[in-house]
Formats: sequence, C-alpha cells, structure tokens
Amino acid sequence: MIGHVAQDAKLERIIRRILQIGVATSSVFLAIGLAWSFASPAATVGSLLMTIGLMILMATPVTRVAASVVEYAVERDWLFVALTSLVLLEIIAGVIAALVFHRRL
Amino acid sequence: MIAVTPGLTLIILLAGIVAGAFGATLGLGGGIFLVPFLNLVLGLPITVAAAISLTTVIATSSSVSAARAGQRLINLRLGMSLEVATAAGSLAGGITAQLLSEDTIRRLFAVMMAIIAILMLRTLNQRVTIAGTAVDPGLLGGQFDDPQSGGVVTYRVKRFPLALLASFVAGNVSSLLGLGGGVIKVPVLNAWCGIPLRAAAATSAFMIGVTATAGAIIYYGNGQLVPALAAAAVLGVQAGSWLGLRIGERASNKALKLVMATVMIVVAVIMAVRGRA
Repeated sequence: MIGHVAQDAKLERIIRRILQIGVATSSVFLAIGLAWSFASPAATVGSLLMTIGLMILMATPVTRVAASVVEYAVERDWLFVALTSLVLLEIIAGVIAALVFHRRL
Repeated sequence: MIAVTPGLTLIILLAGIVAGAFGATLGLGGGIFLVPFLNLVLGLPITVAAAISLTTVIATSSSVSAARAGQRLINLRLGMSLEVATAAGSLAGGITAQLLSEDTIRRLFAVMMAIIAILMLRTLNQRVTIAGTAVDPGLLGGQFDDPQSGGVVTYRVKRFPLALLASFVAGNVSSLLGLGGGVIKVPVLNAWCGIPLRAAAATSAFMIGVTATAGAIIYYGNGQLVPALAAAAVLGVQAGSWLGLRIGERASNKALKLVMATVMIVVAVIMAVRGRA
C-alpha cells in the first residue's frame, strides 16, 4: 500500500501542475479574447482567441488523462494503463463522432 | 443562429458570477442555475445552454481539483476507474441530446432540478460524520487526514459495480443537461460504496472535468458551442466561485439552502410546464 501512496503522490503533483497551467492559460486567452471582442466586435481576433481558450480548456482534462497513462506505464501498473487508455479512447471516440455526424472530416 | 451582442455577453458574464457564487457556496456546480437562466430568461436553445454550462463545469472541476490535489482527498485510482463509466455515459448523453426535442430535455432538466432541491432539503441538518476505522484500503480504497477528528481516515470501496452504474448515469445526465453530475455520484459513493463524504465529493469533482469534456466535444463539433458566450460564462463562473468560497464561510448555510431549494422547485415547475413559444 505504501508503494501505491507514493506513486499517487507523484501523479497528483503532475496532475495539479497540468490543471493549474490549463486553467490559467485558457482563462488568459478567454479574457483577452472577450475584451478584444468588446473593443472591436467586428474583428475576428477576439473570436479566435476565445476559441483557442476553449480548446485549451477542453484539452486540460484530456492532457491529465494522457499524463496518467504515461505515468502508470512508467510504474508498470498495467491495469491502470488500460483503464486510463480506455478513457482516452472514449474521448477520442467523442471527437470522431462529433466530426463524422457533421461531415467536418 | 444566435446573435452575439456585447450586451448578451455581458449579461452571461454576470449570470456566471452569480451562478458560480451560489454553486460554490452550496457545494453544487454553477450549471444548475446557469442552464435555466440561459434557456428560460435569455431564450437560448437548451443544447446551446448545456454546451456553455459544460465548459464552465470543466473550468470549475479543473481549478477545484488543482487546489485540492496533494491533500490525498482525491482518490485518483477510484476516479480514473469510474471515469471509464462517466465518459461513456457522457458520450451517450451528448449523442442523445442531439436526438431529443427541446421540450423533452427541458422536462428532464426540471425533474433533475427538483431531485437536487429535495436532496438539499433532506441534508439540511446533516453533519459530516466519518468513521475512523483501520481497514486495508484494498486496490481502490484510500486514506486521508481528517482535521475534524485529528486522525487518518482509511476506507475501502464497496459495491464497485454500483459505483460504475451511478457514474454512467451521472455522465449521461451531465452531458445531456450541462451539469457536472456530482449530485448523482456523491450520494451513491457515500451511502452505498463506503466512501467518506469529503473523499467522495473531491473524487467526483476531479472526474467531472473529463466527463464534461467528453460531452462538450460533441456540442462543439455540432456547432452548438458559441465561443463568446462560453468565454463569458467560464470567466464569470470562475470569478463567482472564488467569491462564493469567501462569502460562503460567513453566510448561514441552512437558510441559504432552504431559500435556494424553494427557488429551484419553482424554476423546475416553470421549466416543466413551459412549452416552446
């Protein structure tokens, strides 16, 4: 059990960093984009920045799942490599479903 | 097509602040207040409202979990196991949302809102009690320091299939209605799966980011996520939660719960009876 706890403490630090960076960066893009769109509603710059911000926001939890896959692989914890990979595959399936349904592929 | 005006964006920013503040104070996400406002008051389609709300849910989950990580309250292994079910439920919910009518989704939302209000009333006098037991946590259990009892709480996960089922349903509700889904998972994990309330809430909040992302992606792909409105809502809810956590300490939780539960039941009735004009 001690091994589990030590591993998880390391992964928890990695996850915390990913979440902090993701939230902070996306908030900056969203705030600048929103302010820009208020200042000049006709310009597309604001809209582009906000879209990038939302992309970063949605990528944040996905990144922490991907980081967990890597970390569990390093620890040779194959059960959790499998489980976290499955979550990643489900998200990818969602992306594909959304794209296919609306013929954006 | 929705006409995005600075006025509309500003209103959503303010609504996000209010929803985030109440959400943080009550331990709910902001979505339960944001979705009805966007749909009933601003007249946005329920799918557009849900998409906006889901982005705020991702942001709240990420910032709350970043703040809590390191306190051992989040059970990573349990969370990552149950995410397999929440993400699957969320995908199913996102696809279902494209097939159901506006009225049906709004009625489902009304039912969910009433359930949450009733749960809130039932836990009005609840105290967080934790049995400090010395058990082998097993593969998915965990342990954390409990400041209230001053000791280390160790727990073991019971009825894992039930936890998976609750997570799937929570994922479904999450992407269909634009909520986090914690209100479904947390009581089940706590009451039947042996997980202490604080650990259940922290683990659920951690999982919600992935759950909401799986749903938000589908709305985004379908062009139902309006960037400017989502940006305003995310920033508003972030600011509101920050405020709520500071004001919430001083506010009387019991009176607030009572008032909010009443408001929620009224809004649920309005949502249930209102057809598309």
